[in-house]
Amino acid sequence: MAGQKKLTVVISQHQGKNPVKRQLEEELAMACMMDPEIEVSIVPNLYDLSHDHSGLLFLKGIQGDVVVLSWLFPRATQWILDRTGVKGKAGTVFLVGEDDEEDEDQDEAAEKNPDAIGTLDVPNRLIYSIDLRASKDPQEFLAEIRRIVEVTSTETVDLMSWIQGEPKKEQLERYLNPQEIFGIGSSQTGSIAEVEAEEKVSRRWYPVIDYDRCTNCMECIDFCLFGVYGVDALDRILVEAQDSCKKGCPACSRVCPENAIVFPQHKTPAIAGAAGEVAGLKIDLSQLFGGGDAVEMAARERDIELLRDGRDAVGLAVGIPKRQANACGVRDELDDLIDGLDDLDL
Amino acid sequence: MAEDLVFMMGKYEARVPTDCLYSKSHLWLRKDGLRYQVGFTAYSVRLLQDVYFLDWSVDAGAQVFAKQEIGEVESSKALSTLYAPFDGRIVEFNQLLLDDPSGINTDGYGNGWLFTFETDAEPLTPEQYVEVLEGGWQKTQNMLKGQVN
Repeated sequence: MAGQKKLTVVISQHQGKNPVKRQLEEELAMACMMDPEIEVSIVPNLYDLSHDHSGLLFLKGIQGDVVVLSWLFPRATQWILDRTGVKGKAGTVFLVGEDDEEDEDQDEAAEKNPDAIGTLDVPNRLIYSIDLRASKDPQEFLAEIRRIVEVTSTETVDLMSWIQGEPKKEQLERYLNPQEIFGIGSSQTGSIAEVEAEEKVSRRWYPVIDYDRCTNCMECIDFCLFGVYGVDALDRILVEAQDSCKKGCPACSRVCPENAIVFPQHKTPAIAGAAGEVAGLKIDLSQLFGGGDAVEMAARERDIELLRDGRDAVGLAVGIPKRQANACGVRDELDDLIDGLDDLDL
Repeated sequence: MAEDLVFMMGKYEARVPTDCLYSKSHLWLRKDGLRYQVGFTAYSVRLLQDVYFLDWSVDAGAQVFAKQEIGEVESSKALSTLYAPFDGRIVEFNQLLLDDPSGINTDGYGNGWLFTFETDAEPLTPEQYVEVLEGGWQKTQNMLKGQVN
């Protein structure tokens, strides 16, 4: 069977029990099962998977290109996977949701901040992240998956690395304990409902760093007083203690000068990882229309969590970025943006 | 009718009609009987650009207090929460905008009105509003730059 290369499709389930969403998931799973060139698996919501969840072990074991369908913005999916060690280059997806529309015309490089530190050890394979909110029609997703099957099947398979390579720990585990692996494509037994009952997944809340934007400025680690952030052996910023994060609090995302911190479940698309204008984020004009500014809002959100923990509120006294002080002066992208607007004949 | 006042946003002329009153949060209020019709000023529309989504989180008839969250707006360039300009009561929302918010861009001081509003507060005069704009323009630019990276 070594010569036959299948495209792996992973469906990450919605957290809730919404029947419409469940139906879309099931229809896609069934259709993919019928396709001899596709291997399909269903896992609970990616964001909620703990590091030792079998769904995650399965994902880590996948060698080739993968399509991941989830109820999350593709950027969120990509960086959740990256954090768990499921790495790859972002494949180009044509089926995108409304909030991500602008993305279509942008080439990949435009999304990246030139000063970003990037992610490390990216293998030469593609991960296609598709937002299940992009359409209500299963056929549109299936057409996109078929398109990706065609694209990926034209690539040559590097057989030698298979024959001579050492299996990874997860792969070995998968080989030794096949029954523990999630997947309805290969076994064709357990239904979706059974899969769900096997391992309880509870909802989680933590930040996800987009390393294509992060410049390692450390403002998040200074700001967060709950010990969520840390650095790795190379002094790169890292979400070290995910579950120390305070449920519902997106404050560090607001203070991040590069908008590199994603909370995939936040109600504001910009914080949840939507692509958009101006290197990603739409401008938040709430301050102009009468709201407080982002840093004030972040400090307030942090104070609420500090008080809940029985600690003292610190307001703006601790870990507040100083960048507002030097915001003017050097000509930057916004000057270009505003001048560009001025040139338009309105 | 008296000529509009103008505030220069870079090279862009933001009109400030003299038949309206204003709020610091960049809304105009035009007296219409006992009520005001309320909408986005040219200044705010300029920063928003093309509005394509408008949503209200309170019902028509609701009593609101100044700075209370009342809805959201999303445009090609920006998104924002919307806040009540003063203490008062929102009488009615412009239903046409909910189906197609483009009136905000094409006729911001007319058919692009957002809601009708009853208030005892005293809104800013056009001259006072222009002063607010002059005083805040540098800060607004800095705020935008703080967000655009």
